Amino acid sequence: MAGVLAGLLGVGGGILLVPFLVLAVGMSQHEAEATSLLVILPTAIAASVALRRRGVGDLPVALVIGVVGAVGAVVGALLALSLPADVLRAVFAVLLAIAGLRLIRDARTEQA
Amino acid sequence: MTSQQRAGVAPGLAAAPGSQWRYARLGAIGLAGGLFSGLLGVGGGVVMVPLLVLWAHYGQRNAHAVSLGAIIPISLAGVLTFGAAGEVRVWEAVALAAGSIVGAQAGTTLLARADERKLKLAFGVFLLVVAAFMVVGR
Repeated sequence: MAGVLAGLLGVGGGILLVPFLVLAVGMSQHEAEATSLLVILPTAIAASVALRRRGVGDLPVALVIGVVGAVGAVVGALLALSLPADVLRAVFAVLLAIAGLRLIRDARTEQA
Repeated sequence: MTSQQRAGVAPGLAAAPGSQWRYARLGAIGLAGGLFSGLLGVGGGVVMVPLLVLWAHYGQRNAHAVSLGAIIPISLAGVLTFGAAGEVRVWEAVALAAGSIVGAQAGTTLLARADERKLKLAFGVFLLVVAAFMVVGR
């Protein structure tokens, strides 16, 4: 049920999954981030396969970028693990606020 | 892929002079995306897509596709690192992934009928509300 709600919110790999896990499911910030990544992984695989079938994108290049990125991900995750939960949560909240403000700005500058 | 085909996929990429810098750029974009992903538990696309468009000269659609592909190794690395620390809740993740497939079908139907501008506005406000809750606590 929670998963269906998550899907409806377009949360499959999105920015709302972590807050959902923290606020609605009651996980800690670290658990939420970790679990979110495990949801994102199959979602990204499925989406990439579908796009590749339609000839969109460049999967070999993407995977090479991703392998370099994987190094960054390990560093990022270790950094996250070293931060206290409330600090990490605050950083995440800032990300959400920036994303929200950009969307509002985009909506207001768009033609009706 | 021939260079002509590659030009169709990513015009800037085939034409860019100094191709070793091109690879350095792509690597830097990947690194930035990875850091973001590992730190915050998101995909990393929010950082990579704009960089791929503006800095690596990909079209919007291809940038999204490349970003999604890069997210595969990136999120895997994140899962393994967090997993080693015992933070991954596997069954919850499985349930969510399964549910989100169902939810996504319904969501795309609704999405097709929505007014994009209103949707952005509503979603933007929603994100701000969620941000506030994250700070204030449950």
